[in-house]
This record gives sequence, C-alpha cells and structure tokens, in this order.
Amino acid sequence: MRLPLVIAFSILPCLSSAAEPELDFNRDVRPILSDKCFFCHGPDEHERGADLRLDTAEGALADLGGYAAIVPGDPEESEFMYRILDKDDPMPPEKSHKTLKPEEIDILRRWIEQGAEYSEPWAYVKPQAHPAPEVADAGWSLNWVDRFVLARLEDEGLEPSPDADPVTLLRRLHFDLTGLPPTPDQVEAFVSGQKTLDAVVDDLIASPHFGERLAMYWLDLVRYADTVGYHGDQDHNISPYRDWVIAALNANMPFDQFTREQLAGDLLPDATTAQRVASGYNRLLQTTHEGGLQLKEYDAIYAADRVRNVSAVWMGATVGCAQCHDHKYDPYTIKDHYTMAAFFADIADRGFTGNVLPTKRPPEIRIFTKEQESEIARLDAAIKTALPADTQKQLTKLDSDRQKTAAAAKKAKGEKQVELKAKLESIDKAIAELVDIEKLNNYRKLRKQRDQLEQQGRLTMITVAQKPRTTRVLPRGNWQDDSGEVVLPAVPEFLGQVTARGDGVRADRLDLANWLVDADQGVGGLTARVFANRFWYLYFGTGISRSLEDFGGQGQPPSNPELLDRLAVSFVDSGWDVKALVKLLVTSRAYRQSSLAAPDLLERDPHNELVARQSRYRLPAELIRDNALAVSGLLVDETGGASAKPYQPAGYYRHLNFPKRTYTAQTDDNQWRRGVYTHWQRMFLHPMLKAMDAPSREECTAERPRSNTPNAALVLLNDPTFIEAARVFAARVLIEGGDTVEQRLAFAYRAVLSRLPDADEQRVMAELLAVTQSGYQQRPVSADELLKNGIAPIPTDIDKLELASWTAVCRALLNLNETVTRN
Amino acid sequence: MNANPFTRRTFLGQTSLGLGSAALSSLASGTTGSGLPHFAAKAKRVIFLCMAGGPSHLETFDYKPKLDELDGKPMPASFTEGQPIAQLQGKELKVQGHLTKFSRYGKSGQLISDYLPHTAKIADDIAIVKSMVTEQINHDPAHTFMNTGTVISGRPSMGSWITYGLGSETEELPGFVVLTSVGGRNPQPIASRQWSAGFLPSRYQGVEFNSSGDPVHYVSNPKGVSPAQQSALVDAIRRLDGKRNAQVANPEIDTRIAAYEMAFRMQTSVPELMDISGEPQHVLDAYGATPGDGSYASNCLLARRLAERGTRFIQLYHRGWDHHGDLAKYMGVCCGLTDQPTAALINDLKERGMLEDTLVVWGGEFGRTPMFQGKGGPGRDHHIKGFSMWMAGGGVKGGISYGETDELGYHAVQDVVHVSDLHATMLHLLGIDSARFSYPFQGLDMRLTGVEPAKVVKGLLA
Repeated sequence: MRLPLVIAFSILPCLSSAAEPELDFNRDVRPILSDKCFFCHGPDEHERGADLRLDTAEGALADLGGYAAIVPGDPEESEFMYRILDKDDPMPPEKSHKTLKPEEIDILRRWIEQGAEYSEPWAYVKPQAHPAPEVADAGWSLNWVDRFVLARLEDEGLEPSPDADPVTLLRRLHFDLTGLPPTPDQVEAFVSGQKTLDAVVDDLIASPHFGERLAMYWLDLVRYADTVGYHGDQDHNISPYRDWVIAALNANMPFDQFTREQLAGDLLPDATTAQRVASGYNRLLQTTHEGGLQLKEYDAIYAADRVRNVSAVWMGATVGCAQCHDHKYDPYTIKDHYTMAAFFADIADRGFTGNVLPTKRPPEIRIFTKEQESEIARLDAAIKTALPADTQKQLTKLDSDRQKTAAAAKKAKGEKQVELKAKLESIDKAIAELVDIEKLNNYRKLRKQRDQLEQQGRLTMITVAQKPRTTRVLPRGNWQDDSGEVVLPAVPEFLGQVTARGDGVRADRLDLANWLVDADQGVGGLTARVFANRFWYLYFGTGISRSLEDFGGQGQPPSNPELLDRLAVSFVDSGWDVKALVKLLVTSRAYRQSSLAAPDLLERDPHNELVARQSRYRLPAELIRDNALAVSGLLVDETGGASAKPYQPAGYYRHLNFPKRTYTAQTDDNQWRRGVYTHWQRMFLHPMLKAMDAPSREECTAERPRSNTPNAALVLLNDPTFIEAARVFAARVLIEGGDTVEQRLAFAYRAVLSRLPDADEQRVMAELLAVTQSGYQQRPVSADELLKNGIAPIPTDIDKLELASWTAVCRALLNLNETVTRN
Repeated sequence: MNANPFTRRTFLGQTSLGLGSAALSSLASGTTGSGLPHFAAKAKRVIFLCMAGGPSHLETFDYKPKLDELDGKPMPASFTEGQPIAQLQGKELKVQGHLTKFSRYGKSGQLISDYLPHTAKIADDIAIVKSMVTEQINHDPAHTFMNTGTVISGRPSMGSWITYGLGSETEELPGFVVLTSVGGRNPQPIASRQWSAGFLPSRYQGVEFNSSGDPVHYVSNPKGVSPAQQSALVDAIRRLDGKRNAQVANPEIDTRIAAYEMAFRMQTSVPELMDISGEPQHVLDAYGATPGDGSYASNCLLARRLAERGTRFIQLYHRGWDHHGDLAKYMGVCCGLTDQPTAALINDLKERGMLEDTLVVWGGEFGRTPMFQGKGGPGRDHHIKGFSMWMAGGGVKGGISYGETDELGYHAVQDVVHVSDLHATMLHLLGIDSARFSYPFQGLDMRLTGVEPAKVVKGLLA
C-alpha cells in the first residue's frame, strides 16, 4: 500500500531553488546509489531485491504495475523516495547497516526533480579531448594542464600556491624522476641559472635511473617478487623480468607495446628473447608447492589471481569480485570473470621440481649479460673451427657410448665386467684414432668452458602457450562444482567484443592485450585514463580520481574529469609516449607549486584533490635506502642484475621451511645496490621495506600507505644499513668537508639536504657532537665497535674517535623528517 | 577500556600515532573504529594459542567408539565421496582407530585424551567446540582463512581487526603481538601474512617478538652506541624536526616526533617485558619455563605479561602439529611441550583475576582425518569437515562441550561452527557486532566475518 509522500517530504528542509547547480549523475548521484542501493538493486541479478534495478534508467523507470520506482521530475510520484523516507520500513534496510544521510536524500530528491538523468559510468565513456578552459589569470599557466587546474581553482575561489623555491623544486624533480638526491653541484647549476628546468628534466628523464624509479611503481602493480609467496615461499627465477621493465621504461617503449610484450610477448611473431622475458608477467602470481595440494583447486586460484591482476592493472576494475557472483556495483558478471580467466588458460605453469633451492619452475630460459653473450659467440666460433663438424659428430657418439659402457662396467661383475672393460678400451682407441690428442684436449676445453658459461645465465620464468585448459564458470566460485558452462576467452560483455586475429577462432592473450590498448575498438581509452591518473598520483601525490585501482561505481569520481580525459586522449594520441606524458606533468606550473599548506587549505582539501599546492609525503621505502647510500657514496651505480640481499636481522627466516632457509647478506659491492633490486621475499619482506610500507606484492598495489610509526623510527635509527651509511658519510665529511665544525656541518647539510644549516641547527649538531665525543673519549673501544657496523672498509687515516662522533651527526641528518620527505 | 582509538593511550599499533593527516581524516570519517564497543564487552583482550599444523581432534577431544571398532577397515565411501582430500588423493582410505585413550575429567566430566593430562585439570574452565569446520585443506590457505576469514592475500588478520576496533591499553608495547615456538614434526612454514594488517592502516599489524637476537627488529642500540649517546641522538632529532616544523607546519612531523619518543621508550620496555628471569621460581615451574629458551612455555608466560601490560591481542604459534605419520610419537612431543604451559596460563590468569576478561582460544587451522596415513608409523591427513577447538575465560561458559561430529569424527553434524562463526563469537565477547564492524576497501564494506552471515555461538556464552 502506498501512502502520500507529502508528510514525509515536509520533514526535509526545502533546499531546492532555481539557482541550484545542475547535479551530475556520475559525480553526485551514482556514489550514493552505488554505496547504499546497488548491493540489492544493482547488476547482480541473483541478489536483486523486489526485482528492482536502480543502476540503469530502464530498471529505475520501469512500470511496476501502475507506479514506478523513479518518475523523472516528480519525486512525489516516485516510489523510491517513499521507500527511502519510510520510517517504519526504511530503505536501505536496517540489516544492511547502511543509512542515507539527510543531505544524500536531498541530492536524490533534487536529482529526480531535475529529471533523473542517468549517464554511463564515467570510466567507460570514451575520453574526450576537451579544450583547455578559459582562465581569469592568463599569466599563470605554462601548459594546457595548468589551464584545467587553474580553472578548477578559480571555480572554487582558490588561488594556486606560489612556486616552490628552486632547491625544493630540484629535489622534488630528482626524487620523482630518478629516485636519487641531487648532488651539491647539480643544485648549484640549477639555482645559479646555468641550467634550465627543461634541461634538468630532459637529463633526468634520459637517465638510466628514470627506469629504476618508475619500475618500482610498476613492480608493485604487477606484484613482482623473488619468491612464490605461499607455504614454503621458495625462490623463483624472475629477476630478468624486472630488468626488462627497467630497460623498457628507459627506452621509452610505447605503453601499448609495453602491454603487449608482457601479456603476450610469447605470441608476438618471431618473439625475441626480450619479449619472451617480458611474458614472465604471466608467471608473477603467487604459487604454492605444498604437499597434498589439489591441482584443480589451484588452477582456479591462479586463474582468479590473474583476472584480479590484469583487470586491476589495466582497467582499474575489480573483476575479481565477480569470482563467486555477479559484481555488486559494476556491470561485470560472473561469466565475465571466467571468460577473462580463459585468456590465461594456455599458460604452462605446472612444472615444479620439488621443495629444493634454487626452485625450478619451467618453462624458464637463461639470460646472459652482454659480456657473456659475446664470450658465448667467441666460444661457439672457436668450437666450430676446433674440429671438423663430422668429427665432432662422431666424437659425440663415441663419448656417449663410453659413458654408458663405463656406467655399466661399474655395476657389472665377473666376466661381464671384463667384457665391458675391453669395450671401453676399444672406444678409447677409436677416439684416439679419430682425433689427435692435442686437438682433442683443446676441443674438450672449449666445450667445457661453453657448458660452464651456459650455467651462468640467469634463469627466468617465461610464458609458453600450450593447449588451453578447459575453463568453466564456477558457481559460487566453487572449484569442485562442474555444473557451470564451459567458456571461451572473451572480454566483459558490456565492454564489447574482442576478435581473434587472422582467422583464429579462439581469442588469445595477444588479442586481449590489443583490446586493452585499442582506443577505438577496445578499452584503450579506459587504460589511458587509468594510467594518466596514476602518473598524476606519482607526481602530485594524489590521483585525479583518488581510487587508483577502482574506476567502478564504488570508486571516487575524478575531481577534474575534463583534465583526466584530456590527459588520457593526449597519452593515446602521442602513441602512448610515457616520457612525453611525464614531461608534460613535471613541466607544468601546477607541479612547481610549493607544498606548504596553510591550515585552512589543509582542512578544506586534505587530500590535495584540487591541486592548490604540491603534496609532501615520506619517500617510498626503496628511496629512503637509496638516498642514504647515495649521500654516503656507497651506492652502486649499475642497472639490472640478480636480486641483492642487504643486511637483515638474524633468524628472520626461521619460520620458513621446505627447505629451511638461511639468509646470507651480500659480502661484496652488491650490498649497496638500490632498493629496487632488493630480494623480495613475499612471506617475510625485508623488515626495513616493510616498516616503510613497501607491499609484500601478493596482490596489485596501486597506492602504498604512508605510515609514520615507531617501527620505522627504529629502522632509521638502528638498521646496520643506515649505521654503515652514516659512518661512511662521516668519513666523507671529515675528508672533504674542511677542518672546522662549521665547515663540516655545511658540507654535510649540503650533501643531504641541499642547503646550509642555520645557527640553531649548528648549535644542536655541535652539542650532539660534543656529547658523543665525550662518550667515546671515556670508552674508546666503543668507537671501534661502532665502526665495525657494516662491511665497508674503515679508513685508516682518520681518527677513530672523531669518525665515530661524526657518525652520530650523520645519523641525525639521515633521520630528519626533511631528509626522508619529498616536498 | 579505551573505546576511542584516537587517544594518545596507545602505541605502535594504535591511535593518532603514526597517522598521517590524510589517514586521520579518512579514519575519522569512517563508519567503523569509532563507536566501539557496540555493547558491553565480556572480554578485554584475547590470547590465541594457535597449534599450527592441525592437531588431531581424534587424539585430543573427540572420542568416537565406532572409530576403534572399524580400525583398519575400509573407510565407508558414504563419508568421503566428493570430499576434498589432501595427501591421501588417489590412495586407499582405511579407518584409523584412536591412538590413545580418553577419560572423563572435572565436575563437568569432559572427555579428554591421555595426551593432555594438564588440560584435563582445567576441564571445568574450558568450552570444547567439537563441531568446527573450515574451508581450506592446505596449511597456508587454512591459516590465512582462520586468521582473516578469507584466502585472498592482503586482508587483515583478526588481531589487526580487533586492535583497530578497540585500540590498545598500553603506550609502551604494541597492541598486537605474535610469539612463535617450535617442536614436533618438521614444522610447517608460517607467513607474516598471518599477522598482517592487510588494508587496515599498517600500525595495526602484529609485531613479532623474537626469542633470540633483538626481541623486536632494531630495538637495540647499534654496536658501539651507549644509551646516553643514543638518547642524545634522539633528542637532537627531536629538536631539529621540531624546529623545522615551526617553519613548515607539517602535522606529519608532530606524529613523527611522537613516533621517535615511542621508539626510544620501546628500547627499554621491550627488553624489560621479555626478561622473565625476575618471575618467582614457582611461576616458572608451573609453566615449565626457562628464561630465554624461546619455548612455548616461556611464550605462555610472556602472554600473561603482555596481557597484564595492556596488549589487546596476543597470538602464540606452536608449530609441529602436522602429523601425517608417527602421530602417536609426535603427539607426545607436541603435547609434552604445550599441555602444561597452556593449563598453567589458564590457572595463572585465574589466580590474578584476569581470566574473566581474557578470552583464551586454543586450536589449529584444521583437524585430521579419521583415515589412516602412513608416513612412518600411523598418522592422519588434513581434515576440514569437523575438528575441535576450545575457548576459555572472557565470557565463555566453562566445562561444556559444544557440537558434535558424526560417529567416525568426519563431518561436524550438530551445532556446526564455521570459522566465521568463531570470529563473530570472539568479536561478540569483545563487545563488537561483527555485522556492523567493517572497513571500506575496494568499494566494499569489508568484514572479518566476510559476506555470508556469521552467527554468534550463543551456546558458548556464560
């Protein structure tokens, strides 16, 4: 029975007026409907209550027998309003633990009044190249990005912040683009005007460290790690994939190609070794090698993992939610989940050689360094000329005979043994007759070198396509339920179709990759938006849409949709030119702003969505390490290579088993490699990385938390890596920094903070120095103990008490908030 | 009780410490965390005794005469058909009778096996749940399921949920502490994921205390640095950060200064906590603990010390219960190491008047098959369709058995308790309605108890 709404409405303040701004469905209305209504009245038909669907206009406006949930322009005739205002039996119902706030109810009412217009979910509408808006302050903008930012600020009645001072700006650029601090000379060149900002940016983007810095982010997204992640958490071989990512980013590989090579490098025509390494992407997921596992169960787990990742990384979508049921908020059906999974059903990944180290996870290939490659070529050539091909062939056969006979002779007894020994002699004789002994020895030496070299190559898991496993829809996600329909690879139905290349019947991973980056026939516009947003986050501290991995109904709509659109279109039109996009952002005026925030601005826009300032935040884990190593001079300036093991507390891996693990920290230069190369043990991530919020990389991470905990303080205070860096830096200060305390402090501050200390700071540091010195004078042996932290050599020509005391000053510097903050 | 997680009363894991401005505002506007507890709590804290590897319910608490009757005979297919099976996949399934005897104990007359003579003495304090079921048959996912209510990585463990919801009552120590010990069959690995804060702010993650080396990573001064020197250093950092903050007005810096103060304080409080040598001999004897031995016995004593100091969630792992073979021998080893200390912990809490507001939970990630497995002498495979756990204190009715498995101890058939029901019951005792206790993540209101409705097991409540 329906009651008149008049009474119910009278309780609401009448806020409606002609001057009210038009509501935007996606910005204002969808978030409310999605969060409060779609769980029961959304895309999931199995859960749908009262057969009512509110996520489409068709459903909301449908005739329900003389009335409709929503009657455009007429809230009073809308059953929907009646239900959300019903005090006795309200919607959403009590058991949902959701309530509508009065201001939300008001928005819904006004929206119906204004005509209840629905629009497509913003993320799935093709991005448009909106013209840059007109702005009042024409002088501020440096490029079109700025016009979008400024227009938004002017709408809000805000002004942009002044430009940051040159030192802050330069440090920001260095950390953002290479992850390493500027040297005092680089600071001087920029501040004095010798070098322009453009030139600085060009140099940084061209630096090999650019790829390392950006790879850190990519590796979080694709969940790159050095271990399998479940149960025994054994190592798996994959570091060449990491190096491929760094190299591809440094080479500015277009993002569409970057996508294809990872998802389907193995399927590209005449796939190169590098492309096969890139296809290791499909092997990055967590795997288990626990005894008693049920293969069928894990096929389902791995399939779901791959769907979660590919949809989160490229589409900003939570298709993983449709593993058991249709998505509650977005139009992904359970079938979509499994048709997506079917793309990955051809990946060979069952091979495993048991719980031993190093783990073998075929298919794998070996990767060689440039030096190794040329040595291989040299040896192959030498082998070719060492003996005629025909002779080599005969020799191989004789060798193999000999091996078999020798083995048999060892086992045999009596007469049989005598017989076999005679045979051996005859084989030896045949060999001697075939080749001259000197030539033979030379040949054998070369072969041995070649075999040894082969073993030195770094193994890496790759993707090899095999006959696809059957993929079924698993009702409720239950892997034991075979009643679901068999599905073929397909993209989510509401997003269109993917066509198999050529005359292929079954679409494959390459078709999927093409679809992801095809702005006309596929979801390239969505992919471009997802990444434009993430690049914005990398250089402004917050995404234009704050939900970096969920562009669905429950995600945050973009704060500046036209800007996000234009960036996405520009990214696609540039041929997916990553470096061009990065340069566009960091050479904007918006990027240059100061990060100082007045309290009222901080309160009004805590997340910096409006960009009336730059953002300031603690550096990511790896960069805190890199910075300390860089200023001390310890940092190894080399790109790529096997994962490195820095100092780590003893016994940290004691809970690992199958096999038991001992951790051996590097005892050579590899101790001082950049954080991006640190051995990533999923089940026990290095405590330093963990304390500084690096993720375990079990799942896609698009945004790391930025915590500020006592654990992190203990790391910076006491981790041997930082003690060693401080003492090595202290030696630099004493050798290069002049003779007086003032000169030395100036040197140290310049190196770490790119500025000079003021009088207060000098005084605090001088006091610290004095207290520390007196401690070491009373107990000189402790100075020796301190200097034994780490494996870096202890300089013999510096007074140890002095060195130990200055180590305290350097530790203080490395611990400062300013040091670990990107401003 | 500290109901408001935004006071300065907590440490590592709690409160505004470690909160960035963004995190603070997003938390403050969140729908959970504040307004807790939802109703009066019976328990203030939890000690979760995790018997990792999966102890056999058939050699601890679940006596089935029929099992002995059918010993050595084929397992009736009606039980096992279509059921998930771990290492016995494709093997012939035979019934394995009990490998020990059971007797009745206490006024309540609870049936307890001979492997647990000390637990037998606390029979009237514990509620034995004999009808547990879980969904995961391999160790790693089963632990993840027990701790987080799901098998997807990146979700918070129950300790994180609870410290997030209720805060902690200590400024000196973390709100969620994990202690581990070994002894038994080749111990299964255990991942730090099991005490991860998942998508909750990282300050709610469990902190593992180590029995050797630094009790907490990097809590000791570096070699060659005296306490006075370290103190001068921390003081200099504080002054320099404070001075900088006067110029740049960054709320993060205030948080950071507080974090350094806490870190420095922890350098004293953690070693003090871990040093049990000052405990009276009779207490050490009751637990069977030797200071510094890293044993489960020492960890039980540490659990009491942590509980006294206000830690909210204390989780002990004893690894070694994976008895695929030689079950009789290894049950002897595992029970020998854990039975006495467990009972001593209950008695100690009781004597100190703490049992009434401390919820103690004992159990593994699953149970073991009624079927024989023979890696070495007779053993049992992983089993998820029926197993036993017990709870005590904190509003739990002592001296009862709850639920039953079938005549062979295979399926839980009466008053079945799913892992999520266990979670809901634990939360209920802590004053939390599991259905209303959620955190927004990836567009969903995530709950420890998941999406399916979970029930509070009323029969366990005092």
